Amino acid sequence: MSNALVIDNVTKHFQKRSKRNEITTVKSEIVRILKGQRKVIEPATHIEALKGVSLTVPRGATMGIVGRNGSGKSTLLKLVTGIYSPTAGSIQVNGRISALLELGAGFHPDFTGRENILINGIILGMSRTEVKSRVDQIIEFAELGDFIDEPVRTYSSGMFMRLAFAVATHVDPDILIIDEILSVGDEHFGRKSSAKMNEFRQSGKTILFVTHDLGRIETWCDSAVWIDGGRTRMVGDPRQVVAAYRQAVSAAEDEGARTGRSALSAPGVALPQVDAPPVEAVKSPVHVVDVRLRDGVGAQPSAFSAEGALDVHVDVELSTSARCELSIEIATLEGISLFKTQYAAGQLEQGTATMRLSLPRLGLGDGAHVLTATAWSDGLPPQALSKSLVVAPNPSATGLVRPEHAWSTEPRREVASPQPLVKPAVQA
Amino acid sequence: MIRNLQELYQYRALLWALSMRELRARYRASVLGFLWTFLNPTLSMAVYGLVFGVLMENPPPRYPFYLFCGLLPWIFFSSSILGGTTSVSDRKDLLTKVRFPAQVLPAYVVLTNLINFVLSLPLLFVLGLAFQDVPSWHLVFIVPLLALQTLFTLAITYLLSALNVAFRDLQHIMANVMQLAFFLTPVLWDVRTLKGIERFGVAVSAEELQRIVVLANPMAALMTAWRDVFFTHRIPDWEPLAVVAGLTLVVLWLSTAVFERRREEFAELV
Repeated sequence: MSNALVIDNVTKHFQKRSKRNEITTVKSEIVRILKGQRKVIEPATHIEALKGVSLTVPRGATMGIVGRNGSGKSTLLKLVTGIYSPTAGSIQVNGRISALLELGAGFHPDFTGRENILINGIILGMSRTEVKSRVDQIIEFAELGDFIDEPVRTYSSGMFMRLAFAVATHVDPDILIIDEILSVGDEHFGRKSSAKMNEFRQSGKTILFVTHDLGRIETWCDSAVWIDGGRTRMVGDPRQVVAAYRQAVSAAEDEGARTGRSALSAPGVALPQVDAPPVEAVKSPVHVVDVRLRDGVGAQPSAFSAEGALDVHVDVELSTSARCELSIEIATLEGISLFKTQYAAGQLEQGTATMRLSLPRLGLGDGAHVLTATAWSDGLPPQALSKSLVVAPNPSATGLVRPEHAWSTEPRREVASPQPLVKPAVQA
Repeated sequence: MIRNLQELYQYRALLWALSMRELRARYRASVLGFLWTFLNPTLSMAVYGLVFGVLMENPPPRYPFYLFCGLLPWIFFSSSILGGTTSVSDRKDLLTKVRFPAQVLPAYVVLTNLINFVLSLPLLFVLGLAFQDVPSWHLVFIVPLLALQTLFTLAITYLLSALNVAFRDLQHIMANVMQLAFFLTPVLWDVRTLKGIERFGVAVSAEELQRIVVLANPMAALMTAWRDVFFTHRIPDWEPLAVVAGLTLVVLWLSTAVFERRREEFAELV
């Protein structure tokens, strides 16, 4: 079986509960029966969270889900996990599934971290022996030190999340379902959990995840799906999906600014249609095969220095002899473009060519960035490949960019004394 | 029903872990610790013993011990029912966030109370010895009785926990129902002391009345059987217990059917 997940035409309804009878009670039911009222089922009391969603996730693929709040992303994840059952349609899951929908489910505040690892692991679907054999790994990953034997209620929220994340990622599933939880802990732990996710991807696990971190969708995912108003709006290449999604959100914002009413203010309402991105009709002869990031001495550090050099090597494969153009863009994870440069490589022979971009001084602010190399030929659809580019923290400056700069103190100058105020003469 | 119980067996690690945690949570950070297990039945026994065994006229012989033989199984039953009713509706955190086998929730409440009951038994024997009562070979009946009462309790708990998700006031109704059931069940009194009644032109002999009470109330049958084992040292009547066993099967079948049908809605309703 090559597909880990097959979602076929799934629809999910929720019963809407009006304020008047928020929760039915035995009393209210008896009163209703005594009054001889029939139970009224109004069609309007249904909410359609998902309408005919179909998706196929191949084994070993990473698929990202984007969409606005209330568009049905989390409902879809809960359906896949088996927490909800679909109103119509079917979901086929091949493999052991682990869902990180909320961290720390079932943690008991009065128990120590170690005790909670056991019960949380069992709740997440591990057997007792599995948990016991992984306890040390989990404790090491969570980096709680001696706190592991303290009650969880004494933990800081960061410690709590770290422990919960550590347990959840050590379940060792075939399919991992993640809902917006990667922003756990501080910088260091964030990197560590990113590395853990990468490890999952490389070991051939299937990952389905929801995030609003669009840069991550672009860099991590093999494919992306955009869910809007309970329907699949677009499925395909993550960069194209994210671009279309961004376009639609800004279009809705513009409309909101113009008319004072916006599709963004109502939950669950679909975003306005914008021109569909170009469909790949003709196969492009150029492909970006690999992007390698090196520092000034040819090494590949986990974080680059802002003051140091960056060499970008882009391997491009040409299926025929063709003219090739290349662009390299560095953007923040939120998608703000910091720097983009374009290069016309001219006519290239069939085979692999390597192009190199040298920046003697990187000059960017610290944190994670997305570097995207895009290659194209004579108006044909571009081919892109993204890499994560991490810039090491630098205590002396903050901000997105870091131009060359120097501070100094000017020699002291005499300041002119202020002019006294002239009072207007008072007429007697 | 069979599938439901099989799944329960599948999740036994989870069931056990939750029960152990529940028991340990109860005694954590308390001075008396494990003694709390004994405190509740002991205090109840002290109060009822004082009122019915000392203050009232003609107290029955060894009344506190007699009372205790009934109180322990009753507390097992009533705590399971009351705790079990809210067991599903209170665990939003588990049901909506992880794929969780819902039937484990009522089951672990019953299991927790079962363990509590078993742990209190030594206290019962100590009290018996204080009244010059030595346990007899009839103790072997503990095992089938325990199995029967556990299944019966589980069946009712399944039903109530599933219904309480949709009808939240059920938990308050149950608190009152259990109070009434306590007096209708021979915990304070003895079925065998019932005399015949003759009222409204209907005459019921003592034997018939005793039979009706035991057959109509499954807990009366169980309670009488527990007393036979612990107090009167005789073999329990098999007939009322067979009725309870039959009833248990019916209720368990019914309640697992209700539970299975409603469990898909749990995550949406809690």
